[in-house]
Amino acid sequence: MKAMRQPLFLLLMFAAAAFAAQPQKIFPYSYTQEDLPNGLRLITVPTDYANIVAVQIVVQTGSRNEVEPGLTGFAHLFEHLMFRGTPAYPAEKYNQTLNRIGAASNASTYADKTIYYTTFSKEDLDTVLAMEADRFQNLKYAEPEFKTESLAVLGEYNKNSANPMSKLNEALSNTAFDRHTYKHTTMGFLHDIQDMPNQYDYSLKFFDRYYRPEYTTILVVGDVKAKAVRALVEKYWGAWKRGAYHPDIPAEPPQEAPRTVQVDWPSPTLPLVEIAYKGPAYTDSAKETAALEALSYLAFSSNSDLYQRLVVQEQKADTIMSGAPDAIDPSLFEVVARVKRPEDVDYVRDQILATVKQFSEKPVDAAKLDQVRKRLRYESALRMDNSDAIASILAQYIALKRTPETMNALFEQYAKLTPDDIRQAAAKYLTANGRTIATLSGPGGAK
Amino acid sequence: MAPLQAQIRAILLPSKSPLVNFRIVFTVGSAADPADKPGLAYLTAQMLGDGGTKELTYRQIVEAMFPMATSVGVQVDKEMTAFTGSTHVENLNAYYKLLRAMLLEPGWREDDFRRVKDDAINAIKVGLRGNNDEELAKEVLYETIYQGTPYGHLTLGSVSSLEKITLDDVKAFYKSQYTQTHLDLGLAGGYPPQFVDRVKSDFKAALPLNGGFQPRKAAPSIPERTRVVIVDKDTRSVAFSLGYSIEVTRASADYAALLLVSSYLGQHRMSSGVLYNRMREMRGLNYGDYAYVEYFPRGMFLMEPPQNVARHHQIFQVWIRPVEPPNAKFALRLALFELEKLAKNGMTEESFDRTREFLSKFVNVLTKSKRAELGYAIDSNFYAINPYNDYLKAQLAKLTLAGVNRVIKQYIRTDRLTIVAVARDGEGLKQQLASEDPSPMTYNSPKPAEITEEDKTVERRPLNLKPQDIVVRPVAQVFQ
Repeated sequence: MKAMRQPLFLLLMFAAAAFAAQPQKIFPYSYTQEDLPNGLRLITVPTDYANIVAVQIVVQTGSRNEVEPGLTGFAHLFEHLMFRGTPAYPAEKYNQTLNRIGAASNASTYADKTIYYTTFSKEDLDTVLAMEADRFQNLKYAEPEFKTESLAVLGEYNKNSANPMSKLNEALSNTAFDRHTYKHTTMGFLHDIQDMPNQYDYSLKFFDRYYRPEYTTILVVGDVKAKAVRALVEKYWGAWKRGAYHPDIPAEPPQEAPRTVQVDWPSPTLPLVEIAYKGPAYTDSAKETAALEALSYLAFSSNSDLYQRLVVQEQKADTIMSGAPDAIDPSLFEVVARVKRPEDVDYVRDQILATVKQFSEKPVDAAKLDQVRKRLRYESALRMDNSDAIASILAQYIALKRTPETMNALFEQYAKLTPDDIRQAAAKYLTANGRTIATLSGPGGAK
Repeated sequence: MAPLQAQIRAILLPSKSPLVNFRIVFTVGSAADPADKPGLAYLTAQMLGDGGTKELTYRQIVEAMFPMATSVGVQVDKEMTAFTGSTHVENLNAYYKLLRAMLLEPGWREDDFRRVKDDAINAIKVGLRGNNDEELAKEVLYETIYQGTPYGHLTLGSVSSLEKITLDDVKAFYKSQYTQTHLDLGLAGGYPPQFVDRVKSDFKAALPLNGGFQPRKAAPSIPERTRVVIVDKDTRSVAFSLGYSIEVTRASADYAALLLVSSYLGQHRMSSGVLYNRMREMRGLNYGDYAYVEYFPRGMFLMEPPQNVARHHQIFQVWIRPVEPPNAKFALRLALFELEKLAKNGMTEESFDRTREFLSKFVNVLTKSKRAELGYAIDSNFYAINPYNDYLKAQLAKLTLAGVNRVIKQYIRTDRLTIVAVARDGEGLKQQLASEDPSPMTYNSPKPAEITEEDKTVERRPLNLKPQDIVVRPVAQVFQ
């Protein structure tokens, strides 16, 4: 781990530490990271992109925290409710203020985190930080508004329901997991969404448990100075009271045998086949996350033998996507393919399984691994082309380890990987007993 | 007399950056498809951006691009085809070598053609008809409004047309349309100055100066009465898109005012709009409701509009996100009621002022990356206006409330519309819409009196639709 510079002792309420950029670090910006006494963390990243500031507030709660049965989808509903106003800024006034300052504003909920983002012109930093502080501390909505908002969530479910990938994901998660809360999706089960109007009291409990400084990180990226940001955050967020709740997320027992699930889609569509394996929790201090990420590129990216054969040459699939596990708790390594004809589903499935076997037995060429390393570095550089994008990238890492340093640490793991590390990770995690296969098909395939 | 030497149009935004952005745009699109070959422009572009070159197979290109993390994006619209990509400046030569060959020395291979064709057909069958009711409704709206004009077919074409188009068709289209006069070379970022001349001379040497067929520019006719298209498919909820043509583009005097009105009514995926407020926020009808004066494809996946879909003809459009079937008629009535209210009452000083402030500052967010700024610069060139950020701010500054209210009176209407719905039981919905039966709303919580009072009017608002105004089309026939 990188040694910290000596923190400057200040007469203010908290100590700050600043990390200077090193030339070889994947994250090239200097940033300031500091904790208020109430546990709130502030990370400020000044950039050269003039006039724009991106504020992303990362709350370390998501559908993973929905431990009570019948109450899935609440982290997401809660994200909606955060726009319903406070005594000082009722919803209309909040919306009109954001409107006047020309801000782009939205939020997203995931399994491990909920992120609130606002991108705006730098002269409105004070207003944005004040309004955000207000709704994080003083949110207040009455039951009628709560019930109305739950209908908007149902509307969101409805618009998602046209896409079979949503249904496939729901079935896969439900089958792969037994006890851990990754068993349900962030949207939640439809029957729980339909019951939401009756759960006003539970929604208030959710706010009380998780919308607390110890779960929250404020990330400010753009045309800002760290000192000025710090002063504003201290002013508006300093009095926020720490909470005391710690969720009891059930551990997932080891999977003993392969699993399958079939989803019948009522209208014409192309078949989907998804193969998932139980993988490790995110780590930047051991090789596994990095090894599985690299494996994902080597085995399944557009440059892989499998993709070139199935999609380009044989043209039996038109999409192959994969993702390595990168969640707080052990989650899934996933490969999904869209197959052009129903009669080829088994073949595509078997080709994916054969690829997995090959990577578990044979180490890749060192040259190919080097190419993946290069790609990962250039990919990061290309994505960071404005303050908003930088904030979005960092927010994902902050959700995991509450610091941009984890991005650097992960890339250091990539740098150290050997071909045998990849093979070992595949052999350890991509096993039949840890596997779930989900398939989806329409009536007789697409017309 | 020898013709004047044409200069290749280059739109340049150099900056101190380790990245270089390319936007190579041809001002030709599906409006140039021959009448019997819809989808030709689209397939041609895909063969360039998603196929091999004379020297390299597609696989070899992917292999070469992989370690650089680069790719070539392809976007085809009615009047523009854009090839986009970004690279780290360390890889500039290697990336440009591939990009140049893809655009100027395409491989025209049969196996690439087969793959690219299948992708296009599946984009219609599955991407649109199968899995995206909202985008389907929008594209049927455009097809209906523009029928009989060069915009009147889906850019992707149709399934039957795509099946018939040959590689020779594609090569002929490339030869006649990919010309110097159609070319806008866009470059942004940290490229060395001499790089521009190199790119210009490559394209000048390879492309013919002038091209072939130019489509006639024709504005669509306005229907005599409101017409409704219901696309019947097995789906959970009802998705709506409605609108009508407006002869207003960025170059028009009324653009800024009309943009302001559409932002007030329903700024894309923000909670500030009137429609969002009255339909979602107050009544919980759906996930959102928005209004547009420019084409905005795939809005469900994007928070900000794409660049390089510039057109000479636009529509005013309202997007009503999927509603529960029992509320569909009420939701449609409510949207029309809000449009009518606006047409009658106009905007207030406060709402005008606030919306203007929003747009004047939000434009900074829209142009926050060099990549986006370059896209806007190319579009500004198309419309022959100043750089967008400056242009919009200047136009907004000149607006007055009276001027905006005049624009509302001139352009906002609720008759002679085109309405598209994607729903299950199309005949049932048709009967509902053709009848003036009230459609009362019930809620899961008490509503303020102003809502319940307003509902009494909304639920009986005449739709003035006769059965012959409404056509039901099975989804398998749409874009077939």
